[in-house]
Amino acid sequence: MVGSTEAAKNTYQGQMHLLQKEIMGRYFERLTRAAEKGEGKAVYMLISGNPVELIQAFDLIPVYPEIDALQLAVKKSALPFIQKAEELGYSMDNCAYVKADVGLFLGDRKTPFATIPLPSLILCNYVGCNVYLQWFEHLAEYCDGELYNLDIPFLRDPSGQPSPEDITYVVRQLEEVIEICERISGKKLDYARLKAIVGRSGETGEMWSRIKGLTKNIPSPFDAYFDSVTMMAPLYCLRGTEEGLRFFETALKEMEEKVQMGTGPLAEERFRFIIEGPPPWPYLRTFRDLFSKWGAVAVASTYSTVGGLWEFGFRHDANRPLESIAQHMLQWNVTNRNFLQRYQQIRRYVQEWHADALVIHSVKSCRLFSAGQGDMREYFTKELNVPTLLIESDIEDPRYFSEAQIKNRIDAFFESLEHKKLVHAAAEAGGAA
Amino acid sequence: MAIEDFISRHQEILENSPLDLASNWKREHPATKLIGCYPVYSPVELIHAAGMLPVGVIGAGNRLEIAHADSRFQSFVCSIVKSTLELGLTERLKFLDGIVFHSICDPARNLGSVFKRNFPDMMVEYIHFPQNLSSPHAVDYLTAEYQRLKASYEKMAGTEITDEALRGSISLYNEQRRLLRELYALRKDTPQNLSTVECYVLTRIGTLLPPEEHISILKEAIPGLRQRNEKPKDRIRVVLEGSFCEQPPIELLEALEAAGCYILDDDFLLGWRWFLEDIPTHGDPWRNLANAYINQSVYSGVKHDTREPKSKHLIDKVKETGASAVLILAAKFCEPALFDYALYKRALEKAGIPHLCLEFEEKMWIFDKARTEVETFVESMLFD
Amino acid sequence: MIYAAGIDVGSTQTKGVILNDKHEIVARALTETGAYVTKAAERSFVEALETSGVKRQEVAYVVGTGYGRYKVTFGDAQITEISCHARGASYLFPNTRTVIDMGGQDAKGIKIGVDGDVKDFVMNDKCAAGTGRFLASAAEALGMRLDDIGDISLKAKNPVRLTTVCTVFVESDIMSYLAQGKKVEDILGGVHSAIAARTISLVRRVGIEPEVTFTGGVSKNIGMVRALEQKLGMKLNVSPDSHFVGALGASLFALERAAKGVASFESRVSSPTPNSGKNPKLEPRKPDAEAR
Repeated sequence: MVGSTEAAKNTYQGQMHLLQKEIMGRYFERLTRAAEKGEGKAVYMLISGNPVELIQAFDLIPVYPEIDALQLAVKKSALPFIQKAEELGYSMDNCAYVKADVGLFLGDRKTPFATIPLPSLILCNYVGCNVYLQWFEHLAEYCDGELYNLDIPFLRDPSGQPSPEDITYVVRQLEEVIEICERISGKKLDYARLKAIVGRSGETGEMWSRIKGLTKNIPSPFDAYFDSVTMMAPLYCLRGTEEGLRFFETALKEMEEKVQMGTGPLAEERFRFIIEGPPPWPYLRTFRDLFSKWGAVAVASTYSTVGGLWEFGFRHDANRPLESIAQHMLQWNVTNRNFLQRYQQIRRYVQEWHADALVIHSVKSCRLFSAGQGDMREYFTKELNVPTLLIESDIEDPRYFSEAQIKNRIDAFFESLEHKKLVHAAAEAGGAA
Repeated sequence: MAIEDFISRHQEILENSPLDLASNWKREHPATKLIGCYPVYSPVELIHAAGMLPVGVIGAGNRLEIAHADSRFQSFVCSIVKSTLELGLTERLKFLDGIVFHSICDPARNLGSVFKRNFPDMMVEYIHFPQNLSSPHAVDYLTAEYQRLKASYEKMAGTEITDEALRGSISLYNEQRRLLRELYALRKDTPQNLSTVECYVLTRIGTLLPPEEHISILKEAIPGLRQRNEKPKDRIRVVLEGSFCEQPPIELLEALEAAGCYILDDDFLLGWRWFLEDIPTHGDPWRNLANAYINQSVYSGVKHDTREPKSKHLIDKVKETGASAVLILAAKFCEPALFDYALYKRALEKAGIPHLCLEFEEKMWIFDKARTEVETFVESMLFD
Repeated sequence: MIYAAGIDVGSTQTKGVILNDKHEIVARALTETGAYVTKAAERSFVEALETSGVKRQEVAYVVGTGYGRYKVTFGDAQITEISCHARGASYLFPNTRTVIDMGGQDAKGIKIGVDGDVKDFVMNDKCAAGTGRFLASAAEALGMRLDDIGDISLKAKNPVRLTTVCTVFVESDIMSYLAQGKKVEDILGGVHSAIAARTISLVRRVGIEPEVTFTGGVSKNIGMVRALEQKLGMKLNVSPDSHFVGALGASLFALERAAKGVASFESRVSSPTPNSGKNPKLEPRKPDAEAR
């Protein structure tokens, strides 16, 4: 996320990127102060459908081990931590996010970007990813810390909606979390403040949704994969705060100006694609360049909806704070939606964002995303006739990235798209003559 | 028929094509609807109370060639996910009217969606079990989830599930599970009289036949097995853990014992032996079933019960059975089992209990490596 | 004079060793295993007998080991290659606490006690990363002989970083480095370094304590010896007999049993082990062994 600014160097570096660096720098300083000086208390949480509003309401510090793990990967320092975890008995085949984080957690928790504080609460918001439950159980055992599994029932009804009982169950649990946070922070929940925070999340969602809508323009003002990840860190760490809201106002303004000027992240936009799956953090820059070379810009991505899905209309509602947090967790993020709902999300992207192709980046670590993506490819190529490329590597483990393989496949894919375009253009020209 | 003949005949069926028992039964009872149950646990009583037969769809063994499913699920996904899809894509699940998946892991959940898309004529259900067993609201939630399933199963069966019928089904499966507990106790006490494979075969057929039939088989078999009086061989005694979903090939179980182990307890087919005691048959059966999941069920890594440390049940089991070591037998690429192992390893080392971790795949065909590892492990315990 | 023999039936080669009762190796035999495993075992035993001039009836005890140990039909017992490697390595280098064994198809780490007994062990999974097979793929991709690549790798000045340790992908990675104009020695340096890292990571699961003895066919590759030494920061023990270590260990077990006499051996078997009453006793596993 933060590190994606590194990849943006040779493309474009806007005000948004600089501001992100600044505010995330402050966030990481806050973590370091908590770890080294005991200022504030940390609550570990997970990205998927995170209920960060609750944590902000108690002035507790949200810490996301996923962000720590991906930062390690971006900074190319994950492997020793992964190996340390493997030596302790974790399998080659276990999620490498977990392994990198466990390796880090069992050491001095010092990283190139922050020192990670120990948790006062390990809040496992189980939103789709089953590995989350394992991950936080392990951390709790290693530090003998307090663990709360906030269970979010998966969207399994044919309607694609949560049932009233699902919502009640989640709200009841949120109330239990509030009690724990009151105990940890030593203060009662200020309900008015929670409402204000949820209200700001609603506004943030509005900004973010408008930003995401801008990539429907041709050319797209930014890359909805590589530049979106820059905006995701503030969305999860600072959502509900004034600082977070200002960031999204700035980003929206900048992107709207780019639309006005008709500029995009590349000199020329030749292909528009949708991308499914998380990025290969250890080789993010290399990966981006493989697409940029072809003038290919991602105009929408499923990965940018892990923490929340706002572009289809959901907004937090200050008048129903707990219910709307519950709805966000249950329904308005990609991870708690079933696999077929994800097909439909991508289908909308292809149609409404005017894409030429779908690229599926299949990562070994995250089976929530990847298991069954062969069926997804089948659906898009055979049923919808959308050109689809499936490539494999990993989000965290550098040992699973074979640059030569991936490059070959990406080149072959865009070559064939280009060939089709040329033939099509020639046919049109011929028809006109 | 002598019990030995009965077992070896069924062992052969299970080795060749485990689902044949159920599909043959369907042929003779075409009017009954069959619902497949993916591992680990499924509340089979709900299906049974609707007048349908729940059937364990627990992989395809090692004789089915995977020719189609590999293109849908990647190389790093476990065997059972792929073999189950292969069974569907090769029309070997035609005898089922529906199938139900559960919140055990991410690939199993995505498999449910893939089934829905590829087999539109099948009822495909997915149960989200509560993962927060500490909350007092979990029972309410699960009761509501069972009510949701009720509607779906009633629609499939074309009949209402009455409280009375559900109580009857609970009582029947209580008896089946009670007999399975007896069978397991017998092996724990006298493993020389009941091999792991025999115990496995007698348990597995219960996932493929009506519970009434299985109950009468067990009632006939158990007294005979009690009469056996074999001399114990010189083997180490172990508890086996990690095979709660994908099942190891029967040949591998034979190899483990032949390599010098008595397996006193295991977690094979765990979902079909899910409760430690009978589920109450008085009162609200829906709530009883939900409450039993949360408060009366066996330990399982896929339940995510954080009310006690993950390894406690395993160490207790070692103590209770008098085993001297633990065999972890985890399916290749099975994230729940492989994650569990990291915590088991730590706790077993702390408790001074020797263990060996092996990976298997249901499709495996050659057992030399596993056998070598187990033999070495046995040697390391014997040569000291 | 009592003699004892160990026969190690490996996937590519079968090794035989005969010991006299002073623990001296009186014969070594090496033969290709081929498709007829039982015959290979017999052949290596006969060869060893002929080399040493020992008569068959003078050999009091034979232990079979290796993947084909149950095909040593004339053997008195079968013991796994892991136990035998531990015993053999401990005999050659008595201070050995860790054994790294790299063969054609598998890699193992063994933690051993003072008596050469196995404390813990780990084997690679079916993935070939970290085995001789990976080296063979690399050699093939470069069109070189497997025996030569170790020496060449030592000349590396700027070893490349391999992004994969997958045997399937290594060839395309190597091709791409060649296309970039990288030197062969630097590519081989990278290959050896990647496998060494992978192997050490595997062996760390049992803990690496000095002294470390390196056995198996790959221990003949000087490039791998150096790469492991560099990453571990310690010298490795490598014996000229490194590919006989399994057979040697087997013959040591055989001699121990022969020396005690079969009767005394059996009495040990039937008595409970000291640490636990209900505990394991050694059983003759031959009947079971024939099951498959």
